[in-house]
Amino acid sequence: MNRPGPDPLTSSTFSQRAHEQLGKPFLRRAVPKATDHAYNALRDRFRDHDYDALREQGRRIRADAVEHLDEHLATLVAALERNGVSVHRAADDARAREIIRGIVRDAGGRRVVKVKSMASEEIGLNPALEADGVEVVETDLGEYVVQLDHDRPSHIIAPIIHKTRGEVRDSLSRVAGRELPDDAAALTGFARDTLREAFLTADVGISGANFGIAETGTICLVTNEGNGRMCTSLPRVHISLMGIERVLPRLEDLAVMLPLLTGAGTGQLITTYVSLLSGPRRPGEPDGPREMHVVLLDNGRSALRGGAYQDVLHCIRCGACQNVCPVYRQVGGHAYGWVYGGPIGAVLTPLFRGMDAGGELPHASTLCGACDDVCPVKIPIHDLLHGLRSDRVRGDAAPRAERVASSLWSLAWSNPWTYRASVTFARVGTRAAARVPSGLVRRVPGAARWLDGRDLPGGPRPGGRR
Amino acid sequence: MRPRIDPARLAAIAPTELRPGEDAVARFVAEVEAVAGTAEVVARGDAVDAAERAVLAHRPLRVVLAADLDARREALAGRLETVGVEVVHYEQADRATVAEADVAVTGCVAAVAATGSIVTGGAAGRGGALIAPVHVCLVERRRLFDGLLDVLRALPAIGVGSALSFQSGPSRTADIEKTLILGMHGPKAVHVVVVEGDADS
Repeated sequence: MNRPGPDPLTSSTFSQRAHEQLGKPFLRRAVPKATDHAYNALRDRFRDHDYDALREQGRRIRADAVEHLDEHLATLVAALERNGVSVHRAADDARAREIIRGIVRDAGGRRVVKVKSMASEEIGLNPALEADGVEVVETDLGEYVVQLDHDRPSHIIAPIIHKTRGEVRDSLSRVAGRELPDDAAALTGFARDTLREAFLTADVGISGANFGIAETGTICLVTNEGNGRMCTSLPRVHISLMGIERVLPRLEDLAVMLPLLTGAGTGQLITTYVSLLSGPRRPGEPDGPREMHVVLLDNGRSALRGGAYQDVLHCIRCGACQNVCPVYRQVGGHAYGWVYGGPIGAVLTPLFRGMDAGGELPHASTLCGACDDVCPVKIPIHDLLHGLRSDRVRGDAAPRAERVASSLWSLAWSNPWTYRASVTFARVGTRAAARVPSGLVRRVPGAARWLDGRDLPGGPRPGGRR
Repeated sequence: MRPRIDPARLAAIAPTELRPGEDAVARFVAEVEAVAGTAEVVARGDAVDAAERAVLAHRPLRVVLAADLDARREALAGRLETVGVEVVHYEQADRATVAEADVAVTGCVAAVAATGSIVTGGAAGRGGALIAPVHVCLVERRRLFDGLLDVLRALPAIGVGSALSFQSGPSRTADIEKTLILGMHGPKAVHVVVVEGDADS
């Protein structure tokens, strides 16, 4: 099940990956169809409520959690330990893998069932466990298909948004050893029966954590399929891998954060299942794991505190910014080359993987700001993207022409009359260019590379947003 | 210190709370139905009848009953056994037996009107209605909370045990081309019986 081949982020460019994805017409139909559904459901849900005010509350809760992270983490750790949970701290991905491998080994674990977890994708957990001879079974339907296909999830909450029913049918038919019907209900039923066996026989369940509640020592997990409950109820050991920033100070904070997460993610009022897990089986309870472990993953997170990018730690991984991003909607998640795609991925990847590997991703954006408008915790994604672009330019990682252009642009947009002049110039310029056959424009010296993959539609009038 | 959440303010901005004056039972039933569950409201004396009807509608061979049905468990077990249904008490059965059950019947720790959620777990365990394809849940009116904020504030005092599960309708997935399918890993059908009246069972 190991993912074969080199790391896409370092072995290819965004442009190469995007071109490959643009050759898949299904992707460009599927992504808008699926994501518009979530967005319309959200609007419908909040028709009579002030969604923007709820987002502001969510922003404050997340900002407070991250601003006082040390204090809240100390409270969380103490409460978890009071609840009988073993807490582990992992400074980086290698340490997190080592800790989890150790827990599985000590438990004599041969078979692991997993709930979809972006943090586990981030640390490359499955290949590490498989190298120890442990069978790892992803139990979210989409993530299961991703695993069968040695693929990668292409959306934070809809991992196989890029796959057709026919492709899913082919993958599941290989497992079945027979041709399954071309019908979503039948395919789902087959996966249900196959995974049922895994749930009932697994030794260890591994999940992420949507939130960790400090005051009560509780891990909160949301799912729609019910695999979160299965993985944390049936195996004798439960391990939760939690990014340190996912702490919430109080249980009642969920009254704000849950509707924001599920509303922004899928447009639901609440996901079908919300599990609140506060330790292993207690005396007098009829079931539950004998051991519960929480692995607190830093992996570059605390280094962002106090810096220009601290706000990215407010992210609750809902996927809403992907859904509205005009770039993501065309190229899908795989073009971003690592675990997190879309606008938030274009911020997280250079911060977590370094500017050399991920520095071009902030440029894979139109800076239209649609992500800011939908982010349920009001992360200024557009500002973060812009900041990363500036850092890259200052850090010499960008071509010289781009550095000069960026300085001029910065100068021009720092006062109103030069801003208006620049927009007028751009409008006149692009209109003129739009009249020229595109083949000729692309022959303009120095412009060919920049114009590859761009259109010149003629530009808007000054004004517009902001 | 960040101030606590203001309930009145939250009700104006979050659809997971009730509006002032809104009827909790009516909203609960509507929300359960909105997420593809079914619900009915019965008088205190009719709770066992309603549960029996809901169970038998699925023609089960084996039914799992959870401990949080309290005194109603024996009554319901007797009725079901009379008509030839095998009855299993969850905490006394092994996993293989539970895994083969057709219907699970549980009580609940709490329920949430604004979201159509039942909250199970605590001392009754995590797995009573985990595996069976049908879940019938009895909700005492006094356990029904208005919205998420009320229930989250009440839970620590209720005593929640090691795990709680909020469940809103049947298990679902839309991973394959966004086609909605009910019954992925959890129940395909969820029926909620709201029991009116204030006295404890």
